[in-house]
Amino acid sequence: MTATTADWDPSKPILEISNLSISFFTRLREIPAVMDFSCTVMAGEAMGLVGESGCGKSTVALAVMRDLGKNGRIVGGSIRFKGRDLTTMDEEQLRHIRGSEIAMIYQEPMASLNPAMKIGAQLAEVPMIHQGMSQGEAWKLARQIVADVRLPDPDRIINAYPHQLSGGQQQRIVIAMALMSKPALLILDEPTTALDVTVEAGIVDLVKELGEKYGTSMLFISHNLGLVMDVCDRLCVMYSGEAVETGAVVEVFDKMRHPYTQALFRSIPLPGADKNARPLISIPGNFPLPHERPKGCNFGPRCDYFEDGRCNAGDVPMSRVPDGDRHESRCVKWSEVDWTAPPKKRQVKEKAPIGPVILKMEDLKKYYSISTGAFGGGENKVVKANETLSFEAREGETLAIVGESGCGKSTFAKVLMGLETATSGQIMLFDENVQSTPIQKRNTDTVSSVQMVFQNPFDTLNPSMTVGRQIIRALEIFKFGATDEERNNRMLELLDLVKLPRAFAERMPRQLSGGQKQRVGIARAFAGGAKVVVADEPVSALDVSVQAAVTDLLMEIQRKNRTTLLFISHDLSIVRYLSDRVMVMYLGHVVEMGTTDQVFQPPYHPYTEALLSAVPIADIHVQRKRIVLEGDIPSAMNPPPGCPFQTRCRWKSQVPDGLCDREVPPVQELEGGHQLKCHLSREVLRTMEPVIKIAAE
Amino acid sequence: MDDLLSWGGIIARMLQQFWPVWAALIVTFALSITFKRKLGLYGKLFDSPVGMIGFGIVMFWIFTAVFADLIITFDPIAQLSSLKNKVPGTPLPDVEGQWYLLGSDHLGRDVFSRVVMGARRVLMIAPAATAFAFMVGVTLGLPAGYFGGQFDTVLSFLANLVLAFPVILLFYLLVTPEIKETGAAFTIPWTGTVWRSSIPNVMAAVLFVFPLIFFCTLFQSRYFTLPARRNLYIGITLAIGLWAYSGLAFNADPTGLWGMDPNLLNVFVSVVFVNSPTVFRIVRGLVMDLKSRDYVAASQTRGEGPWYIMLWEILPNARGPLIVDFCLRIGYTTILLGTLGFFGLGVSPESPDWGSTIDDGRKLLPAGILHPAVAPALALMTLVLGLNLLADGLREESLKD
Repeated sequence: MTATTADWDPSKPILEISNLSISFFTRLREIPAVMDFSCTVMAGEAMGLVGESGCGKSTVALAVMRDLGKNGRIVGGSIRFKGRDLTTMDEEQLRHIRGSEIAMIYQEPMASLNPAMKIGAQLAEVPMIHQGMSQGEAWKLARQIVADVRLPDPDRIINAYPHQLSGGQQQRIVIAMALMSKPALLILDEPTTALDVTVEAGIVDLVKELGEKYGTSMLFISHNLGLVMDVCDRLCVMYSGEAVETGAVVEVFDKMRHPYTQALFRSIPLPGADKNARPLISIPGNFPLPHERPKGCNFGPRCDYFEDGRCNAGDVPMSRVPDGDRHESRCVKWSEVDWTAPPKKRQVKEKAPIGPVILKMEDLKKYYSISTGAFGGGENKVVKANETLSFEAREGETLAIVGESGCGKSTFAKVLMGLETATSGQIMLFDENVQSTPIQKRNTDTVSSVQMVFQNPFDTLNPSMTVGRQIIRALEIFKFGATDEERNNRMLELLDLVKLPRAFAERMPRQLSGGQKQRVGIARAFAGGAKVVVADEPVSALDVSVQAAVTDLLMEIQRKNRTTLLFISHDLSIVRYLSDRVMVMYLGHVVEMGTTDQVFQPPYHPYTEALLSAVPIADIHVQRKRIVLEGDIPSAMNPPPGCPFQTRCRWKSQVPDGLCDREVPPVQELEGGHQLKCHLSREVLRTMEPVIKIAAE
Repeated sequence: MDDLLSWGGIIARMLQQFWPVWAALIVTFALSITFKRKLGLYGKLFDSPVGMIGFGIVMFWIFTAVFADLIITFDPIAQLSSLKNKVPGTPLPDVEGQWYLLGSDHLGRDVFSRVVMGARRVLMIAPAATAFAFMVGVTLGLPAGYFGGQFDTVLSFLANLVLAFPVILLFYLLVTPEIKETGAAFTIPWTGTVWRSSIPNVMAAVLFVFPLIFFCTLFQSRYFTLPARRNLYIGITLAIGLWAYSGLAFNADPTGLWGMDPNLLNVFVSVVFVNSPTVFRIVRGLVMDLKSRDYVAASQTRGEGPWYIMLWEILPNARGPLIVDFCLRIGYTTILLGTLGFFGLGVSPESPDWGSTIDDGRKLLPAGILHPAVAPALALMTLVLGLNLLADGLREESLKD
């Protein structure tokens, strides 16, 4: 420890960023990434940085680490850590601070771990370098910290290599590594985005608990407002390189004083939102590119309260909201706007009627056999990707399929699309058996009526073909139209349908934003007048404000075309918002199925209960029961005997005779067609309490 | 009679002799830099200094090959027995104002003119042979990567076999006269020429058919929904393709437009044969990576055939690494051709190509006469260096954005 750090007074801020500006320099121009950013983190405080991708939140974090790369430079302002200015430090001084006093945790755990080193060696390295600790002591400390991050069997873990651990365990190791030198400030850059929700809940709890235990201050970067509410004391909302609002979490969530924050909250599905009665309101327009920012307020062109001549007159400074706790807003009109007024533009829509059964699956099974030997020999293993799947989907209905990675939802989609054939069981599509017809043998009508919208917007379009060409290709293959002109017109109509300008037909995919690409993907799926559309997490990779718009678009097309939508997702908030019926899957089994109300109200399947509790909700009026599942999702290669969920179930003790360990539970039919695959008796199920309660306002 | 030229004078005269090349280079660069924002990857090349230098060197040699007739000062195969092994800058005895700019070789031929003419030989064969190797490699690599399984195992094994065989030995075998005389003789009825089913000829017949397969599949997979257009494209492909194929592979083109010297054919076939397995492996690897993309899944779910997906969805997205490899591979092929020329394989003894010129000059090295070997060696080196720099520039720029 240097003398200056020891002099630091704990009542002063641990991190004080004032008027920070960062630019990236390319050959063409200077691109300002962050402008006039200020924030203060006190000792033991958790500060959240929230914003959409490209808003500069990660750049701020990297600037604190002074790790902006070759092109990035701090062009103004200061970053004071424990009273010392980081912007003027040389490499030698920085090396003493990085990893020892300031530690960082990144999104992708595997990228932060050295795959060729044992976990223990990687952890022990930190105190050995920074504090000159002996190897034996360092390993002892490593073992203790591994136990602290609640990993089972620490002795085995410290002798393991990173690839032998699951994603959740890896992220815990990364957290352990950050804590090895007891840093004063921990920077977490989207630490749970790559993980499943139930695993995420465990990590979030751990981070909170460790923050309290070690008194570490945190800078928590996330795009998820609910997560920030769970972890942080204060937050800072960023938009296009600027902090637009900052303050205590409760104040910003409840009494927001910036139009962007307000718009953000109106565009996320909170409990109580409904696709018909209270639809989401998306933010109009697009996020401005860094070199195309408007004059004055950056949010001006998309803002409902925009006033020409004031909002675009000049730079808007942060102004303090008087009766708040260090609550500030970057809006010239914040004191004039009526923040409690209900939104103007909300349109109430009619509920679309549900038609006859279009798709019916009966006892569908899909097994894969995998040979373990290197040369085709060896033992053959059977992976049961889908186990006796039965359900119906009706015309105009939205059926949500919920589950985490490895639950078999993608396999199910592949079988339905005909990319794989079912092992056994039946799929009836418009009274036609398609379970054993691969896509090459299906007729054009069947193929064009079952289409898919994919998850990753950056992968769903062919990067070397124009948007128009890709849609026209779909029309060609679906044998639509007799001439090029007819197809071209239809393509332009489809662009209209997904609300994209017709000029986009000539664009290449790289010129489009994520949301626009996803719209093209939707247009392409509906090119042949699809009746059944499988949407595989269509919005999970998009920013929140864009999610609402794309979801809305899907709903609108569904209403118009009376499409059956199979909505695959792990995000229960959006599922609750838009689906009519919900099917919850775990390790290839359907564990619960019913209408949205039935699934979101008790009685729950124990897995649904945990899932509901794990999803962060950005609403301070919602009270959530915390149920954190132990361990990870078992591998589908090696599922547990008996009930697939028994290894993580908190209700297991309520079932007599260890039935859960031995037998796969039967499907119980409750009131109103609500199905549960669980051994719990009706009496026990009746005692379940709701996970989410909305407190009276 | 003039005096011996000084080095300054030699360089000045050479620069002057290359004037059509300089003019063409200036026009190319001026146009390209003006419109570089509209020219895609090619335009981005002009953002990279390395790429620009490489492109400049390559274009220098290409223009030299194109304008060779204007640049040369003497007939490259004319011999002046009075001027053997003269140093650079030697004037002609009986004509005013003419010099052997880079001296003369052991037969009294002008080294400068031979180097310039040599560029034409190299730049005609190397890119064409590389292009054929790519056709073969791509046509086989796509299905191997896409389908995998037994098909892939067999093809990869064959590729490994070819790669495991010593290249120079393979060349010696393919180019020896004994091998060329094997096989039965057939008389082509409409031209009256004789075609032997010797190993190199059979290989040519097999390898040259790949571009035809490639283009026909390309059009069939995309336009089978529009039969009129499909028939037109495939008709054109087959008409031109079969015409060229008959000429190149069987020397049976009735019009005589397409044809290849038998020696050249051997060299060409050997170069294609040893290069295609490497291309095959690159393509196979790229396809295995790209086939897991969502846009591939999207085309599968709309019922596209496998060849459409391979040729129109996957191949265009693999173009970056393939273009880079194409540039590098022209460089390797140039070296390979040089090596073959050096060993005297597959080229006529008079030929001014760089490999045989270096071989001729080599014999004078003990006598301390360097220039007949050094000049073509430098030419070969700069061309390959230029191609490598160009490939580096392309790689660098294609990774950005």
